[in-house]
Amino acid sequence: MRELILFFTTHAFMQRALLVGVLISLCCALLGVSLVLKRFSMIGDGLSHVGFGALAIACAANVAPLYFSIPIVIAAAFLLLAMNERGRLKGDAAIALISTGALAVGVMVTSMTTGMNVDIYNYMFGSILAMSRGDVVLSVVLSAAVIVLFCVFYEEIFAVTFDESFAKATGTRVNAYNLLIALLTAVTIVVGMRMMGALLISSLIIFPTVTSMRVCKSFKRVVLTSVAVSVLCFVLGLVVSVRFEAPTGASVVCVNIFFLAMFSLLGAVLNLPRRSRLFPFRRALAAVIALLLVCGAALPFFGGAKTSKREKLSVVATSFAPYDFARAVCGKNADVTMLLSPGEEIHTFEPTPNDLVLLEQCDVFIYGGGESDAWADEILASLEDADKQIVRMMDVVELQQEQTLEGMEGEEEADEAYDEHVWTSVYGAQKIIAAVCDAVCKKDAAHAESYRANAAAYSAKLQTLDEAFFALAEKTRGQHFIVGDRFPFQYFMNRYGFSFFAAFPGCSAENDANPATVGFLADKARAEGIPVIFKVDLSSGAVAQTIAEAAGCRVETLYSCHVISAEDFESGETYLTLMERNLFALDAAIV
Amino acid sequence: MALIECKNVALGYEHQLVATDINFQVENGDFLCIVGENGSGKSTLVKAILGLKETYSGHLHLGDGLLKKQIGYLPQQTTAQKDFPASVSEVVLSGCLPGKKGIFYSREQRRRAEENMQKLDILPLKSKCYRELSGGQQQRVLLARALCSTEKLLLLDEPVTGLDPLVTAEFYSLIAKINREFGITVLMVSHDLASCLGLATHILHMHGGGAFFGTVEAYRQSDIYRQFAEGSSHA
Repeated sequence: MRELILFFTTHAFMQRALLVGVLISLCCALLGVSLVLKRFSMIGDGLSHVGFGALAIACAANVAPLYFSIPIVIAAAFLLLAMNERGRLKGDAAIALISTGALAVGVMVTSMTTGMNVDIYNYMFGSILAMSRGDVVLSVVLSAAVIVLFCVFYEEIFAVTFDESFAKATGTRVNAYNLLIALLTAVTIVVGMRMMGALLISSLIIFPTVTSMRVCKSFKRVVLTSVAVSVLCFVLGLVVSVRFEAPTGASVVCVNIFFLAMFSLLGAVLNLPRRSRLFPFRRALAAVIALLLVCGAALPFFGGAKTSKREKLSVVATSFAPYDFARAVCGKNADVTMLLSPGEEIHTFEPTPNDLVLLEQCDVFIYGGGESDAWADEILASLEDADKQIVRMMDVVELQQEQTLEGMEGEEEADEAYDEHVWTSVYGAQKIIAAVCDAVCKKDAAHAESYRANAAAYSAKLQTLDEAFFALAEKTRGQHFIVGDRFPFQYFMNRYGFSFFAAFPGCSAENDANPATVGFLADKARAEGIPVIFKVDLSSGAVAQTIAEAAGCRVETLYSCHVISAEDFESGETYLTLMERNLFALDAAIV
Repeated sequence: MALIECKNVALGYEHQLVATDINFQVENGDFLCIVGENGSGKSTLVKAILGLKETYSGHLHLGDGLLKKQIGYLPQQTTAQKDFPASVSEVVLSGCLPGKKGIFYSREQRRRAEENMQKLDILPLKSKCYRELSGGQQQRVLLARALCSTEKLLLLDEPVTGLDPLVTAEFYSLIAKINREFGITVLMVSHDLASCLGLATHILHMHGGGAFFGTVEAYRQSDIYRQFAEGSSHA
């Protein structure tokens, strides 16, 4: 408990997350009461999808996401109200139209421009730990506005929510209040998306109200209970996410589900009919449920306490390849941690609070520095004491701009971005190992000799592998290899002079190929008589499978070493052994 | 001066006339029932009286210092209300909204809400939840709310829809009491012609295009009543 409080008080990013989260939950609860009772629950969901579409466009056009999407979402909210007013298209249909429409436009724009990049992922699933000072200011201003307006117009909001026709007849400007609520909802959703993600933000609007409606018998109590439940669920969710290393948005929603279940039970017990046999025990039952609720809420505060005693050097790497290099260099003299869990996809990776603490406290941090590590740049910039060695792999290896291979999908205009998969050529890996070795030696001079020896030994093994790839390239005589997947092997290809065709650029997280791409690759496979279509490690391989079926070949895996599957990690595979697998796989794919 | 005066009024929406030549007036203390088939323009007329809809032509006039927002209106219930978590006193108090100055209701308004609950025998239900009441009780709550927003005129839109016969009879006698004892003028839209004849002082019968207006006695003598009564007895 004490440790948990310490955790919140010592880390600026946790304080920002807590403040913004509490304020947004409060706004959502207040607005939610009115929306849910007016049968407008789905408006939140619809608007968050519009928000996503607007963000995709903002990212593509390189304008500030918030300032672009707030007006768009407000416009969508007004449009929804107007459609409902006219009566031509009723609420649910109108919301479904706008929401799916906006989502489709967002996906379209994304796929035609940047690809599903990290920014967009952040907005889909939320990244509460990356709240900036600007987000904090915006949410304070917003929630102040919501609270003041809600208090001042409380009676009017009740009248309009309970009975629109009566309110209208008694001269209340119903449309003005509807507009006001829509406006505040729109802004709350856009700001909240940053924290909870577009897919989950509407749950903050719906859950607290529905939960408190189970038990409360007056509007005022519903409002107060919703606010309390919403804020409490958020704080608990944040604690759960710290304790169990779970994503924050999903944790908050799960806590909300628990509260809803408990309140539903409580409501059922309190409303037992007189003739029921359980009626005499209803108070006792209610007390039991209340006790369960309190225990459940207290649970995340106890147990699973982690004490981090540190004697050894601490090295943290984001993905598998640098983790493997550091592991080889350090041996037993340091604790080497990989942030990405085995089996986790890098492009959907979201750092948990514990990851951030690890990063804050480590001595050596190794990361790529490309698009998928944008969050790390943000955190590193916000760290106050910079007394750590940082190895940015993209600073170590000569960079190559991401190329578009013939027939590849996406990135029509030449993208200026550099390819971040610098370790895929064995030569690059050797350079990174040298850099890691330097960094570790600087932090731990006592064991420098052992580090140097380990690095030299690993590098020597890689040298053999490097030569084997050159030999293999001789054998191919200009034949193409086909990757029916993302293509992270550009450094690899260019180092040894292999020829490749591939479906998508290296960092795109898409796995939905268009028919032209599939057709092109299948035709090439048939024309050259290529026996194997490759998929990339941890990919579903759906596209590769489609191409293979069309061209009558089999599917094999090429390892990018960016990520690693849980089984391979368990059985102790290394960069070296995975690259050897690549060597055999490519050999087998020669015509 | 008449409370409501309606002269040669025509009603309609989007260039389509629903009712024409509506002429009637309502004096203080009257009980006017508005009857007629579906689509004859009854609810359009209600909206026009409340000021939520423009008349197509003619004059619709509120007199005797009556403002549109001082009409005590009892609308038809919506499905959303049926499970709305609000206490009886919250609902009744919201009838005081048109007179509210400042952020909160005044002590005077709270007293008025209590009085009206007392009048309709729902004071003991004060802190009950609206959604847990029976249909008849809910209707009384909405009636108390309507009374809070008026001193002169009640406008009831099909108030007994969905109530069983016994509760309906009770509700009618309550309205009759409000009309006679409290001296509040009542306008009631209804399908239930037989009960209307027993309650009302005047009848407005709207029928495709025109409207009959007169006292109950005059109505009983009219052709339109005879046709209507025959029609319903045949069926």
